[in-house]
Amino acid sequence: MSRKDEILGRIRAGIGTRYDMPSLDDIAPITYPDPLAAFIASSKVAGSEVVELENGDTVDSIIRKRFPSAGTIASNLPEVSIANLNPDTVESAAALDGTDVGVIRGELGVAENGCIWIPQAMKEKAVCFISENLVILLPREAIVNNMHEAYRRVDPGRYGYGTFISGPSKTADIAQTLVMGAQAARSVTVILI
Amino acid sequence: MKVGLFVPCYVDALFPQVGVASYKLLKRLGVDVEYPKGQTCCGQPMANGGVEKDAVGLALKMEKLFAGYDYVVAPSVSCTAFVRMHYPELLSHECHLADACLDIVEFLHDILRPSALPGSFEHKVSIHNSCHGVRELGLSSPSEQNVAPFNKIRDLLELKQGIQVVEPERKDECCGFGGLFCVEESAVSARMGLDKVRRHIATGAEFVTGADCSCLMHQSRIARKNGLKIEFKHVVEILAAGL
Amino acid sequence: MTQHSKKAAAFLKDAKYSQWHDATFWAVRSKRDTMAQGLPEWERLREKASAIKRHTLSHLDEYLEQFAAQAQKNGAVVHWAADADEFNAIVLDILQAAGVKKIVKSKSMLTEECGMNPYLEAKGIEVVETDLGERIIQLMGQRPSHIVMPAVHLSPDQVGELFEREGISDEIGNHDPTYLTYRARLSLRNEFLTAGAGMTGANFGIAATGDIVVCTNEGNADMSTSCPKLHIAALGLEKVIPDYDCLAVFQRMLCRAGTGQPTTSYTSHFRKARPGAQAMHIILVDNGRSQWIGNPDHWEILKCIRCGSCMNTCPVYRRSGGFSYSYFIPGPLGVNLGMLRDFEAHKGNLSACTLCMSCQSVCPVKIDLGEQIYKWRQMSGAIPPAKKALCKGMSMVYNHPLLYKTATRVLKPFHSLDLEKDE
Repeated sequence: MSRKDEILGRIRAGIGTRYDMPSLDDIAPITYPDPLAAFIASSKVAGSEVVELENGDTVDSIIRKRFPSAGTIASNLPEVSIANLNPDTVESAAALDGTDVGVIRGELGVAENGCIWIPQAMKEKAVCFISENLVILLPREAIVNNMHEAYRRVDPGRYGYGTFISGPSKTADIAQTLVMGAQAARSVTVILI
Repeated sequence: MKVGLFVPCYVDALFPQVGVASYKLLKRLGVDVEYPKGQTCCGQPMANGGVEKDAVGLALKMEKLFAGYDYVVAPSVSCTAFVRMHYPELLSHECHLADACLDIVEFLHDILRPSALPGSFEHKVSIHNSCHGVRELGLSSPSEQNVAPFNKIRDLLELKQGIQVVEPERKDECCGFGGLFCVEESAVSARMGLDKVRRHIATGAEFVTGADCSCLMHQSRIARKNGLKIEFKHVVEILAAGL
Repeated sequence: MTQHSKKAAAFLKDAKYSQWHDATFWAVRSKRDTMAQGLPEWERLREKASAIKRHTLSHLDEYLEQFAAQAQKNGAVVHWAADADEFNAIVLDILQAAGVKKIVKSKSMLTEECGMNPYLEAKGIEVVETDLGERIIQLMGQRPSHIVMPAVHLSPDQVGELFEREGISDEIGNHDPTYLTYRARLSLRNEFLTAGAGMTGANFGIAATGDIVVCTNEGNADMSTSCPKLHIAALGLEKVIPDYDCLAVFQRMLCRAGTGQPTTSYTSHFRKARPGAQAMHIILVDNGRSQWIGNPDHWEILKCIRCGSCMNTCPVYRRSGGFSYSYFIPGPLGVNLGMLRDFEAHKGNLSACTLCMSCQSVCPVKIDLGEQIYKWRQMSGAIPPAKKALCKGMSMVYNHPLLYKTATRVLKPFHSLDLEKDE
């Protein structure tokens, strides 16, 4: 008998009452009169900056303005013409170390907690974490109220990896003092397009 | 409606005035109340300590003593909670006592529902919300849960003329009594008690009041040892004040 | 005195530190309360979370098969480990076959449970913890004092001096947490880039999709898996849940209950090795769980999602610290898990509970933690002989009204009798 069969056999022998799956339709999760405003507020709480793309702005110009001294800008997005490193073509993830600004695209924003769904749409996902500063482009109409709605819209067939990101990397592991920028991005800027 | 008054062992031994106040108050409110003789202990200390089996004999005794009453009312939340939550399993037969047993706060608040109480109590009191009252009998909304706030002890106290009712910070954190806990874990128990008493004092109250004498006993002892000035009264003593 | 009460008494001797400890965890509990009060559906979520877990655990055979099949279909390699030794051996095999000499790993209570780090190190493999708190205690040679905030018992000075000794920080005397965190970042960055494998635990395994879901605030699980050629994910059997709809319920509760934030910074889904990497291995670990499922009084402890809120709310944990418990997981959860793991070794923790029931009132998946401790105390051999004798004596006195009357008048009951020696 395989290990797997042995373990599953013990589980079957141990299970007493088999309980039904509850209906999840009556949770009545929180919704917002203005989900975009709630998303912006939640993002700020999580430590993100939120910038709205206005007339005359381009993604390039916003990045230049926010990070005037940035040397290495990594992105595979066509609208980031100032990028000088491409996570699709670097020879290894380690080559992305030292990136000042990484620019990626988010698919979905969640109003209740500022989470943004980032499927792996690049060869090296390291760009999402190794960059000192992370910029996420997010369509302003792609905001849902809560995680229940979000998980209904995440397509599990399309990616090998995906992550919800809410704000910069943070830790309070030393004496409960909140510090932004633990192991991954030290700042997150969300550009609403 | 026939009511049996259950005066738990340590209340009888150390706080006889609480038993007397309960009896007086119920009488005054027109309740047909009796105090059956021969009461000792419900078995809670042994069971919580880990010797549940030693409580079975006491449970049988209690059941016999209180057969024939519509309600059995006790001025002690932890004893009431023990009878209600554990007797059915301990006795392995249907147990009327478990359903009939109410803490006096529950009985007054939910069954008798007086709209006024005689006498006044012109003092500031801080409520001690005992754990088993909050989380087993539901005397007040547990601070952990997102439910509409309520407090049956407060509701009753506010029927008293001249009273000012407050609650301490961390309104339902345990005081550290815990039956045999205070013997086995004396250091943690003492710290918990001291923290609790200090929070009651910080409200500016003159009295700490609650529905369980054991919590009050523990705290009053700690207050005395540490030279902290605040008095302790069971809620029934306040409700019966001036009778 | 019990194992726990002795250590607790020693912990409380430092009044200032123990007050800080209590206040720190109460602050986390208060942040959690703010989150719970902020969601009108909070109590419904708790109901659903508990019911989903009951359902899943009582169909765990089916969900595990589905999870494993789906993960394999995605391209992951799935292993089954019966116990800690087998788990450690599987990890070693994978690493040796790939010629890996160093791994970076994110926090995993499972690897702690299995003693994986010392095992691998004895075989010549360097293990680098990448969660800041875990890294600190690894360098200190300690075990975690809390499952979510493992190094919270250390002061900035202690961490600063450690980093100076280890050559991680170079400004001697600068013990500012922001500075120390930055220095750890630089040091760990180098480890991420040079490790041969990245290891993660798992907060959830999703049966319908084969995803491993890992929640962190630091992004260290993502960093650990972004550069190395191998990813090894370890999960206890009970971590599997049915699907994304269920995941939404737990994702919303985990961090709110645990740290009082609306979410962790990263909720990451891993399905297969990243492009160009060698492989993703998933190790499903039993180590007692399949037996615990059959324990009618204690199987529901397997509902736990490891948020740590039962520790934060426990008045005894806050005033005795993580190291006062003999099991590596402290607080109400650890008291119960320790008893399941090894009754004799951990029964000295059973005293660490007033039965205040705050733990089960706070628990996001509604585990009857306090009631389970009550039940453990009833087991033969669970409580010290002296305590048992005291209970017997009390029972005898209470069973005889006359004896009782005499005893209470002369001696006064147990409380005043036995407490004169405390403080």
